[in-house]
Amino acid sequence: MKTLITLNVNGRARDLAVEPNRTLLDVLRHDLELTGTKRGCDLGECGSCTVILNGKPVNSCLVLAVQANGAEILTIEGLAGPSGLHPLQQAFVEKGAIQCGFCTPGMILSASSLLQKNPKPGEEEIRTALSGNLCRCTGYQKIVEAIQSVGEREQG
Amino acid sequence: MLLPKFDYHEPGSVDEATRLMGEIRGQASVLAGGTDLLVNMKMGKAAPKHVVSLSRIEALRGIRREQGALTLGACVTAAELKEQEVIKTEFNGLCQSAGSLGSPLIRNLATVGGNIVTARPAADLPPALMAYGASILLKKEKAERLLPLESFFKGPGQTMIEPEEILCAVILNEPPPYSGGGYVKLGVRKALEISLVNIAAFFALDGPSGPIKEARIVLGAVAPVPMRAPSAEAVLMGEKPEDNLFEKAGNAAAKDAKPIDDFRGSAEYRRDMVNVLTKRALKLAYEEAKLREWRRWK
Repeated sequence: MKTLITLNVNGRARDLAVEPNRTLLDVLRHDLELTGTKRGCDLGECGSCTVILNGKPVNSCLVLAVQANGAEILTIEGLAGPSGLHPLQQAFVEKGAIQCGFCTPGMILSASSLLQKNPKPGEEEIRTALSGNLCRCTGYQKIVEAIQSVGEREQG
Repeated sequence: MLLPKFDYHEPGSVDEATRLMGEIRGQASVLAGGTDLLVNMKMGKAAPKHVVSLSRIEALRGIRREQGALTLGACVTAAELKEQEVIKTEFNGLCQSAGSLGSPLIRNLATVGGNIVTARPAADLPPALMAYGASILLKKEKAERLLPLESFFKGPGQTMIEPEEILCAVILNEPPPYSGGGYVKLGVRKALEISLVNIAAFFALDGPSGPIKEARIVLGAVAPVPMRAPSAEAVLMGEKPEDNLFEKAGNAAAKDAKPIDDFRGSAEYRRDMVNVLTKRALKLAYEEAKLREWRRWK
């Protein structure tokens, strides 16, 4: 039986009727067509489905859409402001921190959550914060550098 | 991966939840963080007819500190355990174990209750909680019971919980003065790893420099359930805390362990690692004991 829920996605309230066995990831991608959130392993191992749920980064493949009823959700589509890319997105472009791009939305959302807690993280803190996000191109070094450059810029 | 179909329930209170569990006895799975249940359902290992979510029950959230005891709501997440000040300063071994669980993304979902009831032999939180002498509160309709955590586990995935019961809270007594705990996890990678061996140790001293009057060493991933290491604890009792004592306790713990060979590692390797890691966990516990004492006088 379908349940009526409201998801506040990227600042916009979305009313939906969903089956309880659908994950937040599926509903974002298929019902709301927000395909920036990727489906990788679908088992909580890879982090490509990362979204910010009520202020915290989580694997959206391990959350039922009905559990997220009433929650605030930020996906990669909601990160850029009206004036252009988010500083992290800009830094990823500038530093070449993107190869195939599949892990990028999750990497950037995990990083944005880290920078909110700690605006100038060290390398170790960055690597820990990203430890649930896998990059199969193995481009971690440039990703870490991109995040560090944002921390430094904001201090300067 | 599709989840099998189920009826979804979202009780707003513990009373409502226990009544529901009584009505649909045996056909329901409790959903807390979902990091285990939803994976098992996707893999076809579980297909409950009913799923009862605890996420709307306010009473199961938060950490309460009163009269020398700490009550962790069953839905407190691993991330909260890792970051809460009282856990960091008074239960550092637990803080370390929470920080070793899964990844930051998993820690924001996974709950203390879930990490207990799933009863995985290599789970991160149970050894640390047992080392601090935790009890758990189980509730069903019109009845509740308090159980020492160490008598809860029966085997991999098997516990003393009854089909209509819900684990509602974990209760820890605040550690006495001159005491501390430590946790060490051995895996092949740093995140999203199932422990090869994980060890928690706790001891309390009878004064600033000893002797040891209370000790608990808990070995994980080397038996069907997290186990106490009785002969290692006996080695410590009545002695002064120092490196060669910790060494003897490590040797004894290796004899207590009952590891098996599997694709993650051999029994022999695990036994050797129990020896080394017990020693390290005891050193960490002693460091924490000294640090807590220093903070008390500061």
